[in-house]
Amino acid sequence: MLGKTDKSAIGFVVAALIFFFIGGLLTTVVPPMVDKSWSKPFENNDPSKGPTGKLRPYTELELKGRAIYVKEGCWYCHTQQTRTIYADTIRYGWKGVPSPISTPDEFVYDSPHMFGTKRTGPDLSRVGGKYDTQWHHTHFRNPRDLVKGSVMPPFPWIADNPDDFTALVAYIQTLGRAKNWRPDNDYEK
Amino acid sequence: MAEAVQPGITGGKVSETLRPAESIHQDTTAKWFLLSSISYFFVVGIVALTIAAKFVWPQLLGSVQYLTYGRLRPLHVNGMLFGWLLPADMGLAYYLVPRLCGVKLWNEKLGVATAILWNVIVLGAVVMLPMGMNKGWEYAELPLPLVALVVVAWVMFGINIFATIGQRKYEQMYVSLWYIMGCILWTAFVYVTGNVAVYFTTGTNQANLNWMYVHNAVGLIFTPIGLAIAYYFIPRASGAPLFSHKLSMVGFWSLAFVYVWTGAHHMLHGPISQWLQTIAITFSLMLLIPVWTVVYNFFATMKGQWHLLGANVPLKFTMSGVVFYLLTCFQGPMHSLRSVNAIVSKTDWIPGHAHMALLGCFSFFAIAGAHYVIPRMFHTELHSEALANWCFWLFMIGGLGFFVTLWLGGFWQGWQWNNPSIPFIDTVVALKPVWTVRFFSGILMFGGITTFLYNMMATVLGGPKTTTAKAAA
Repeated sequence: MLGKTDKSAIGFVVAALIFFFIGGLLTTVVPPMVDKSWSKPFENNDPSKGPTGKLRPYTELELKGRAIYVKEGCWYCHTQQTRTIYADTIRYGWKGVPSPISTPDEFVYDSPHMFGTKRTGPDLSRVGGKYDTQWHHTHFRNPRDLVKGSVMPPFPWIADNPDDFTALVAYIQTLGRAKNWRPDNDYEK
Repeated sequence: MAEAVQPGITGGKVSETLRPAESIHQDTTAKWFLLSSISYFFVVGIVALTIAAKFVWPQLLGSVQYLTYGRLRPLHVNGMLFGWLLPADMGLAYYLVPRLCGVKLWNEKLGVATAILWNVIVLGAVVMLPMGMNKGWEYAELPLPLVALVVVAWVMFGINIFATIGQRKYEQMYVSLWYIMGCILWTAFVYVTGNVAVYFTTGTNQANLNWMYVHNAVGLIFTPIGLAIAYYFIPRASGAPLFSHKLSMVGFWSLAFVYVWTGAHHMLHGPISQWLQTIAITFSLMLLIPVWTVVYNFFATMKGQWHLLGANVPLKFTMSGVVFYLLTCFQGPMHSLRSVNAIVSKTDWIPGHAHMALLGCFSFFAIAGAHYVIPRMFHTELHSEALANWCFWLFMIGGLGFFVTLWLGGFWQGWQWNNPSIPFIDTVVALKPVWTVRFFSGILMFGGITTFLYNMMATVLGGPKTTTAKAAA
């Protein structure tokens, strides 16, 4: 059949689209129908099944902060996924408690998704509650004041704008919090 | 072995008899696409150097929000993809499709309008991306109004190319035509998935669509149109017909079937179903089939003709591009193995890999094409062979410096990350020498871009140099 497609443009077009759509549909449309956890928000009340908690939609303030995160391209250097790799869980844990592995049901309210691809800076999947507002303020003004050797750009126009800064920190403090993973709720504010 | 027919090449020799027919071609569209894309290559090259410098001097331009890393990186990526590489490839398609069909471009005015529209899109991106108008998906940052214009321009491009092919003089379509047609069809769906369909989804589902798009932007947009160019120029430069028609068919149809399955390999170990990761890995390994068949076909076509390489700059660019294609497409399937992925994923290895594909391979093909067609379109000779040679070596040395240091650095970084007792910031500080070498390699590559732009513009502005007899040749 394909042997003739170099002579018939119409035959070619039909074959090229069929070939493309087999894989195209099976890998994009079908998977979310098979795996329901992609669209069902995280909720767990049973400690024997891992961290408890419930994913809630973002507030207006958090959404504003998230828009700043998107606009400034934070996601080019920070991922938001604790992968199924042992070192990830330890490295992105906090004070001796490993970070729970990220699952699809934690991201149901995320659009655009912020999983990221590159870790020029550390992963932020569980950064919510690790640092307080004052720390973030100093860090956004000049990251090197707190982390010697950092290559993160300074963001004075965010740190010096109370509305933007409050919104961005409100968003950052939500990251990873659907899963109640800290003992004794020792999250910073 | 059945030989593939490329009009103009018969009996192991580039036939001159068909050449006078070249005078039927106006090439206005191809000229506009190529010259504007080469200019954007230069402009975006400055952006590229700036962001490379920011890794070495993080305070650089730090108080100007429009020039911060997060605003310039999308300009670099989109500028190179949609300002330089894609329009350069489109310009070459406007040149070679009419020649492979033995007819004029279907509608030159429509083509010029497409070129103008494309320039509006690129200039829009240059203004909007630094302002922070970023949709938030990789490769799909462009704001929606620009996305709509891209779709319109793509349809205009598609109509012109398909209509030209529809009135072709030769019944059998040469390989390059299949790849260009495939590129036009698949891009339409891939681009709309990555830029529009994502709006109807969230979270993991959306990430899956996003990665289907990013992966296929390379695999089903830049790969087929890049290979179309290579399939056209390699037999032409070596003066021999393509080694095997059958192999080129195997390569094409396996690419068409296999590529689209692999998007999820960008999220290995991530929050996406394990079985989907396994499917993506399986198909990623199968990608070796279209790659090796294509590369074998190219090498076999060059057999006995390698001595031509030294004096022929476009051929040097093309064949180095083929080697980089082989390497980058060996790395890809290997990265998708879970054990390798656990080391290299998210590290600086990945930009090393991505630049080898888009710069080392596909940009090399486009640069080769520009060196070959611009003097011919303007009925003149290349301004300077020596500069063209400099251009090649600046790109080659700068490119290798860039790729190799990022691989070494990224691999080292991955090992360090997998030892949680090493603080993250130590792994950042450890990479600083790597980023410094990357910046200086970038200067060499920028030298290559500058030489390229100058040589092409001097060729065009130098006016017709050849005699009538030569112009026909």
